[in-house]
Amino acid sequence: TLRNSKSQAPLCILVDNHEISSGPEVISTLKTVHGVKVEICSLGSCDYIVSNRLAVERKCQAELVNNIHQSKMVQRMQQLKNKFDRICIIVEKERIRTEAWKVFHRTKHYDGMLSAFMQAGIKVLFSACQMETADLLKELALVEQRKNAAIHVPTEVAGPRQDVFRFYLSIPCVSYTLALALCHHFGSLKEMANRYNSL
Amino acid sequence: LQKKTQLITGAVNVPLGHVIGHEKWKGSQIAQELQGKVKLILEDGLGLVDFHLSNRCCILYISEADLVAGNGFKRRLVRFRNTCNLQGIVFVEKTQISNQYFPEMQKFVVLELGMTLLPVASQKEAAQLIAQLVQEQTKAGNPFQSKKCTRLLEPSVLHTVQQIPGVGKTKALLLLENFGNIQQLCNASVQELEGVVGRSLARQIHAFFTQAK
Repeated sequence: TLRNSKSQAPLCILVDNHEISSGPEVISTLKTVHGVKVEICSLGSCDYIVSNRLAVERKCQAELVNNIHQSKMVQRMQQLKNKFDRICIIVEKERIRTEAWKVFHRTKHYDGMLSAFMQAGIKVLFSACQMETADLLKELALVEQRKNAAIHVPTEVAGPRQDVFRFYLSIPCVSYTLALALCHHFGSLKEMANRYNSL
Repeated sequence: LQKKTQLITGAVNVPLGHVIGHEKWKGSQIAQELQGKVKLILEDGLGLVDFHLSNRCCILYISEADLVAGNGFKRRLVRFRNTCNLQGIVFVEKTQISNQYFPEMQKFVVLELGMTLLPVASQKEAAQLIAQLVQEQTKAGNPFQSKKCTRLLEPSVLHTVQQIPGVGKTKALLLLENFGNIQQLCNASVQELEGVVGRSLARQIHAFFTQAK
């Protein structure tokens, strides 16, 4: 059946192009170890999109310990909440040069952040390294696939359609995956606008 | 002797700023560390739950020893999930010794059971985190909760119209003034558009809205 062939399709994860430099091992592990179809895009507002409704942010543990970038993070989370039903944060340890078990000093601020994430319904996962992060991303994508939320739309937009895609993307609350879907689902913008009279 | 295996399946009434804990935590480091931060009331008969933070939310504590001993803790969590309608937060002691078991456990708790998992290095850290969770509940306004959209829509409509190739801010304003909204703009004919912008741009805009895949 169609449904079976769909679940056999390889997992697809969209990756923001900033991750090429900040998380190279995440990307290579997803591709080579897990056989995931990785699409590098300019997502802008988040690090990874693993399904039609789930965005994933990769945060280094040190960033959550003190409130240096707090306001920036709050702003980004609110943007994500506007566009995605579900958000997950993966808290990743920095790479340690030595083999020694590094003691992590947690702060009140760190615990406060975790509490606030929980209260806001943001899922939090903990990772020891980039490879573990890749593994978690794959697992998240699998869970979403089982719930029929996997990304199945073509991730390529060619030629003049790119302008149409950008037009969809500029609408508040329209995520990257939704813009792709609108682009591939409707023949023209006129058709879409007349379908949704509230625009 | 019959051991009490009573399960609490519903809400426990927790006064604001208090934590209700299982009897077995009497004299523990957590109980000591919580002193002066939050009021801890110890009771027996809490069943599977270690601490109740509020009427809706409770903590199940998995120690380093539980984790090393094998999968016994899994049965406890599954029983909790099947019988309780409370939000369960799982605290796990993640130490140098139990560290290797953590990834598997995380997948089980978060991805399979859909519960929240928070690693702590010691009972001292657990107490700090409990105090913070209680504080968070009494605090108003979570920075990550999305606010009601009170933003004006005009600027975003203007921004969207500017995505049409060849249309800048001035032209976008002109178009919206003349056509009112995006839907009417989509349905405008080349002639109607020509009345507002030049001929070549009018054609370009019309083509942009009507080009099929």
